[in-house]
Amino acid sequence: MSESLVSSVPVIETRGLVKRYDGELAVAGIDLTVAAGEIYGLVGPNGAGKTTTMRILATLLAPTAGEARVCGIDVTADPIEVRRRIGYMPDFYGVYDDLRVWEYLDFFARCYSVAPARRASMIGELLAIVGLSDKRDAYVEALSRGMRQRLCLAHTLVHDPALLILDEPASGLDPRARVELREILRELRGMGKTILISSHILPELGELCTSVGIIDHGRLLRSGTIAEIERSLEATAILRIDLLSDPDAAASWLGTDARVGDVLRVDGEAVHGIRLEVPFSGSPDEQAGLLRTMVEAGHVVSGFSQATTDLEEIFLKVTGKSEEESAA
Amino acid sequence: MTAAMISAPIRSSALREFGSSVTTVMIKELRSRFRGRRAFIVITIYLGVLALLAYGVYAVVAPQARINAGFGPRTDGFGITIANASATIGQAIFALLSIFELILVAFMAPAFTTGAISLEREKQTLDLLVSTPLRPGGIVVGKLLSALAFLILLILAAVPLSALVLMYGGATLDDIVRQQAVLLMTAIGLGSIGLFWSAAVKRTQAATVLTYLTVLFLTLGTPMIYAFWSATNTYNAENPFGAPRPAPEQLLWANPAVAMIDVVAYTEPGSGWFTLILSGLTGSNEVCDGDVCWQTTTPNDGVPGLKLGGAGVTGGAPANGDDVGVANDLPLIDPGACPANARCAGPGLAISPIVGTLAGHFWPRYGLTMAALSVLLTVAAMRLVVPNGMRFAFRRPRPGAAAVPIEPAQPEPPAGAEQ
Repeated sequence: MSESLVSSVPVIETRGLVKRYDGELAVAGIDLTVAAGEIYGLVGPNGAGKTTTMRILATLLAPTAGEARVCGIDVTADPIEVRRRIGYMPDFYGVYDDLRVWEYLDFFARCYSVAPARRASMIGELLAIVGLSDKRDAYVEALSRGMRQRLCLAHTLVHDPALLILDEPASGLDPRARVELREILRELRGMGKTILISSHILPELGELCTSVGIIDHGRLLRSGTIAEIERSLEATAILRIDLLSDPDAAASWLGTDARVGDVLRVDGEAVHGIRLEVPFSGSPDEQAGLLRTMVEAGHVVSGFSQATTDLEEIFLKVTGKSEEESAA
Repeated sequence: MTAAMISAPIRSSALREFGSSVTTVMIKELRSRFRGRRAFIVITIYLGVLALLAYGVYAVVAPQARINAGFGPRTDGFGITIANASATIGQAIFALLSIFELILVAFMAPAFTTGAISLEREKQTLDLLVSTPLRPGGIVVGKLLSALAFLILLILAAVPLSALVLMYGGATLDDIVRQQAVLLMTAIGLGSIGLFWSAAVKRTQAATVLTYLTVLFLTLGTPMIYAFWSATNTYNAENPFGAPRPAPEQLLWANPAVAMIDVVAYTEPGSGWFTLILSGLTGSNEVCDGDVCWQTTTPNDGVPGLKLGGAGVTGGAPANGDDVGVANDLPLIDPGACPANARCAGPGLAISPIVGTLAGHFWPRYGLTMAALSVLLTVAAMRLVVPNGMRFAFRRPRPGAAAVPIEPAQPEPPAGAEQ
């Protein structure tokens, strides 16, 4: 079997995945493909179907229809084999009382039949990765929330899985713990793990993920790298124009351009003068042309930039668009 | 050949996987259960209470027993010697220890297991557990065994106290074995009832309530149903003469109290308290005059094993043909019979004239019933732990099915080499 053939199998592959709870569609036909080594972010509001999709992949739920494969193995046909290949961290989870940190990891290592000789050394390595080496003998319930989160992350790694499924790993963490978590995830990416991570807080995923899927009402609205999604939405780029001259005159001048949408005046945002937010559909060349003609028309422009679309805006645009479509 | 097929033989046998699942769960559970001083304190209190009880029984029974013995050997209505002082003391201690231990075990066994699964749900640890390759059966059995481990430790720790009885006589080593068997089966049976409710119900509180209701039904409910059934079974078309016909004795097979009373009654000479309780419980067709009871009609048609034998009783499978000729004045007597379950003082002479045949009847049936019950409930609990809709998936994939699914299975193990 050739090497290329092997690595061409996506780590996650779902086709027409549907999950229905009591007639309610939680997942309405999701086609998701995640290649090896990717950090794939599932973004969507609460109740969008992220957790359900992840639980199906973690073999904790059977899909109503469609199929889901992890490393090419159908999750309903051979859940045990799938479980050996994934590390799953649920959105809500507890820890056992009366168990020390090393015992906690030792327990899960036994669950995955890790060889006894390997177990002891591995616990040390994992604790080092998640920065809990000095908590080895502490009781699990005495750990802070951030530490528990990292311990739970460590438990997903005991059997060295190909895929990590992390459901909202950063929720409820303070900013510092969030940064620590991000560092760990970066390290895991360096180790070549494929990671499926979900969040409803978008910025925390933006810089981490190689690809993003935007999910709402059980549907995958967009999927791809952030740049790809951005490009697909380019038509509605927003320009920020700071003016020292009369903003209303500039606004009405801009309004005559067919490529410009509804201009919004934003007070107090610009360092000098007044800012206008201008929806503009056109290439970067056309943006430069707009600036030139604007200055030639006598408007005093102190700032001109394209609003950097972060994940949050992308998300709002995508979900807003889908609502318009469904309304139409 | 696909990688899936290559990886298939790596799987060890189903039994081994099950076994390792059980031990994994047990190690974790026992680690936290025996942590700290709690376990030692509980054992100490438990043994202390039982020892005090044994001494209390001795202090109360011994003087009276000595007085009785002072009158010299006495016989009951059938010429059988009443136990001497020492044996009387031994029997009293044995009886009270047995009953008290049973009550303690019956209270503790469910308490140890009602949280087994539901606590994992409440504390949201179950998903972590179920998403590992642990076998659902392994999880459930491991939980049950680790909960029972402590209970069994308590039961076994009290064996020396029961063995005190051997010094006095009145109960034999066999009696202690029977007592231990009933205690053990009570722990297992009631423990698995708790486990079942724990898996079936979301909240531990609800599981606890349902478990104790079930235990209450088994201990008090079944005799009440039995008595009510027997009482209303008197007059009907099939039974025009109005003789009482007992309800099916199977009703009492899952009753720990009946089983223990049965074990204790076995040690009693003649008809002691526990013998009378047992006969009162099971036989509504007996007439007793002091210690002597006999049956008024042919009892228990179609219920083998309940036929009363020995002296003063009709029916009963003759164990031997000897005609001892006891109590010929009583009607409906088959004096030659020493039924299979009876202890006989001689050929055909049962030590307990009436219910001697009953003593020793219930405890083995109880043991088997509890064993069957716990297997059933454990399997049910196991199925409740498996995620909904995934039940079928845990059957081993058939050899043919392994080749079906995917194009090239298994990718390279991505992170393995680097870690």
